Amino acid sequence: MADLSPMQRLRDWWQRRRLSAAGQPLGAQRLFLLPTRFGVIWAVLIPVLLLFGINYQNNLAYGLAFWLFAVALVSLWRGWRNLYGVRLTASASGEVFAGDMARLNVRLSAARRRHALRVVLVAGPGQVAAAEGEIDGGELLLPLAIPTLHRGLWRLPALRLESAWPLGLVRLVAWVDSGVELLIYPAPGEPEEGAARRRGPGLAPQDFAGLRRFEPGDGPARLAWKQWSRTGVLSTKVFSLPPRRQRWLDYAACSGAPEVRLSQLCAQLLDYHRAGDLYGLRLPGVELAPASGPAQRRRALRALARWPATTGGSDL
Amino acid sequence: MSAPSALLADGRSLSARLLVQLFIGQCLVLALHLPFMPPWLLGVALAAAGWRFLQLRRRLPRAGVVLRLTAVVGVLGGLWLQYGGLMGMQALMGVLLGIYLLKLLETHDRRDGRVVVIIGFVTLTAAFLHDQSLLMSGAALLAAAWLLQSLVVLAGGRAGRDAWREALWLLALSAPLMVLLFVVVPRIGPLWTLPQADQAATGLSDEIAPGDIAQLSRSDARAFRARFDGAEPSPAERYWRVYTLSQFDGERWTRLRPEQHAASANQPVSRFVQEADRSPFDDRTPRYVAELLLEPDSRPWRPSLGTPLASDARQRYLADGTLEGLVPLSSRGLLQVASSAAAPSYPDPAGPAWHRLLPQDANPRSRDLAERLWHEAEGDPRRYLTALMARFGEAPFRYTLSPPTLSGRDRIDDFLFDTRAGYCTHYASAAAVMARMVGIPARVVVGFQGGERHPDGHFTLRDYDAHAWIEVWLEGAWERLDPTAAIAPERIEQGAEAFLGGSDDFLADAPFSPLRLRELGWANRLRLGVERAEYRWQRGVIGYQRERREALLAGVTERLATLWSRLGQLTLGDALRLVAAAAGLLLLGWLGRTWRVRRAGGEGHQVRRLQTWLERRGHGPLGGESPAAHLRRLAPSAGPAQGVLEGVAKDLERLLYAPLSEAERRLRRRRLVRQLTEIKRRWPRRR
Repeated sequence: MADLSPMQRLRDWWQRRRLSAAGQPLGAQRLFLLPTRFGVIWAVLIPVLLLFGINYQNNLAYGLAFWLFAVALVSLWRGWRNLYGVRLTASASGEVFAGDMARLNVRLSAARRRHALRVVLVAGPGQVAAAEGEIDGGELLLPLAIPTLHRGLWRLPALRLESAWPLGLVRLVAWVDSGVELLIYPAPGEPEEGAARRRGPGLAPQDFAGLRRFEPGDGPARLAWKQWSRTGVLSTKVFSLPPRRQRWLDYAACSGAPEVRLSQLCAQLLDYHRAGDLYGLRLPGVELAPASGPAQRRRALRALARWPATTGGSDL
Repeated sequence: MSAPSALLADGRSLSARLLVQLFIGQCLVLALHLPFMPPWLLGVALAAAGWRFLQLRRRLPRAGVVLRLTAVVGVLGGLWLQYGGLMGMQALMGVLLGIYLLKLLETHDRRDGRVVVIIGFVTLTAAFLHDQSLLMSGAALLAAAWLLQSLVVLAGGRAGRDAWREALWLLALSAPLMVLLFVVVPRIGPLWTLPQADQAATGLSDEIAPGDIAQLSRSDARAFRARFDGAEPSPAERYWRVYTLSQFDGERWTRLRPEQHAASANQPVSRFVQEADRSPFDDRTPRYVAELLLEPDSRPWRPSLGTPLASDARQRYLADGTLEGLVPLSSRGLLQVASSAAAPSYPDPAGPAWHRLLPQDANPRSRDLAERLWHEAEGDPRRYLTALMARFGEAPFRYTLSPPTLSGRDRIDDFLFDTRAGYCTHYASAAAVMARMVGIPARVVVGFQGGERHPDGHFTLRDYDAHAWIEVWLEGAWERLDPTAAIAPERIEQGAEAFLGGSDDFLADAPFSPLRLRELGWANRLRLGVERAEYRWQRGVIGYQRERREALLAGVTERLATLWSRLGQLTLGDALRLVAAAAGLLLLGWLGRTWRVRRAGGEGHQVRRLQTWLERRGHGPLGGESPAAHLRRLAPSAGPAQGVLEGVAKDLERLLYAPLSEAERRLRRRRLVRQLTEIKRRWPRRR
């Protein structure tokens, strides 16, 4: 801490100062008022009306100017009260591969009615998600979808809960640290040519063997669209393959930059899983024993996502 | 979750519903202006709205630059034709209105919508320059509330009842602060001059010919209102002096302004007029103190009951015993004038000779009559005037609002010997001429006489109360002489309205005047009530200017000071009683709160009531069925209430069985109570 620059320290302090905790009622100290452009216009309007009153000695113009001023003050309080005490919790839903949209469920709750609430998540340029609604009857569920960029553990930046209600003169803003950590799997890349070749002739899936539930990563060509249109359940056609040997997903067997290798491994992994193979995973420092099924898929994908990707370790 | 109703699905464009809201707001603001503005502006509003409507329906393209410019030029041209220029007050207001109405053409997103509302507030304020009556204020309040609720919808609130509720909350909660600011903020004079609204000159003019005041009796326009501090004058004393006319050319009596007087008499102006807050010519003690609420007028006239002696603001005191303001009134104004009820007791600096001037050789028959009467009076002016008045009171003279027209050189002769019919101006003019003929200085006074007394004690003077009489210089003082009182004493005792009410010409220009309904008891009471409210509004709110503010604040400070000093004198017993009272209030508040919590928590009672309600509709609980089971059983067949029913059942069970924190328990209870009413609302009406 001692080597932090004053600027850095100030930024840290501001981060701590502004963040509200998820699941807690928003407190008075963590609600911020930001004037809007319309608020500035309003602030100009009032002197204009007052000048009307002064130059024409017109008491109704005075009265209206004072009333609009008072309404603006009261609207600050009403807006503040609209956000005060709202609880926000967020949770991730489903799994996500790098480059896909991560889905979040944001839940806002309050006993009183709340109006025109807007939840915004800004993670970077182009990585923006927003949704709005009102709390009527206890709670409000807002789905957010935000594009992801990189593999790995992603701690979401603070969610911004804001509202310009009731008049749009100011925006009431609270930053809530959702505490959500997304584990982003590598984007499934093109399987390495060698791996495809190694499959050899006669090993391509040919005979229809049945249906199973859809899993992310299944190729669109294999989806059972007819069944989906009939039943509403998305399934994947499974083709029988000749029994396979035990396979290894080996980091060392791939080539290229670490992320490229991980992408290839991910694609192979999904492939093997779809084929129902037994497979193990070998990463530098990590080894998973061969197995099959959803649990293995999950274990392996998590290992790929978590594996420390440092440029220095690429020679392994 | 509901999409904000202000915007279309693209998240930017305003929805048709919001545009309709903005348009209604425009119509409300326009309605405040329309009585004073050309009616074709309504056409502009409808055209702009129609274009927008068709454009939303995709039948017309967006209004391009060319169309918008054409529309603006069209409106400006129309105003030019209407007013012959664009720099006048009315024309400028027309420009503002035009911009406001045409703005709808280019209103597409949220920001545009807010700009429309802002211009709406400015235009609304401009309407106060036309009029500040109670009706206008009420209508303006409605328009302002409408604009506010459209802002709530623009900010994302749900349109309709929710937005209205919020707008009314905002207005109600901010009203106390508004009132406080209104009372406390100092009033300063105009910072720069702006174009003024054209005000029609009411009532009196600086010169009269016989025939002028009859026009006034055709109108019921209000001239001013008055309230007396202390004693009120009797009806016969209510002579409000406004102007004196001392120059007679054989046909008309005209008024010379003090500056003209001074120039022609070659004397300093200060002998004729002085700016002061009390009369420099007279230092008698006032008999009446009147507070006047004057209507705006292009001339600075200020009526006073008899001779003005003092006022609460600086005025021009004229040597003929009348009062003038420093500037004309552009809006209603309050003025306090202390006065004697009589004509001035000091000489007019123009001199007695000026007040004896007459055209040579005119009216020979009158001159003969005057000489004969003067001879009979043996040279005693008072006896001469009494004889003259007595002559007017005799039979052939009558009072009428539509006398035969007089023309020719010897009008006074024609009137006195031929037509012998006329009203106040005829008689005043003839009497003044007759007085001058024998060398008695005389002048005509124009003003108001009488007025309607309202039950709360204020008087309204209207155009038809306008009157003319004369003043003669006798024994070192001016003396009021009203020939009309000799011919028609009822006119003076009962007022113009009672006396002239039956005449065809009375109120001829005001066919819909509420004064015509005076015979109907309730209508008259209603009219008096409205006028009283209007008077209070004008006096208390519109007339709240610098002096009134200072007086009010001084009063408040004084009250506070006495209260403070009383606090210092409190005994121990008083203090204890105060503390006990405060504690009692706190206890009451706490009890109320607990009661509310208990009521919110009494969900069992509420649920039983709902079950009874359902039973009455043939869906009662089966034997041994718990409330939750009952509701759950009904849910599948309850249509729109299904979801709420299931939610209530679940909440009930959770409240009973789940380990919940106290806060959560309270929250759920409140929600439950709300949902119970929701069930009744959503329950299918007929099945």
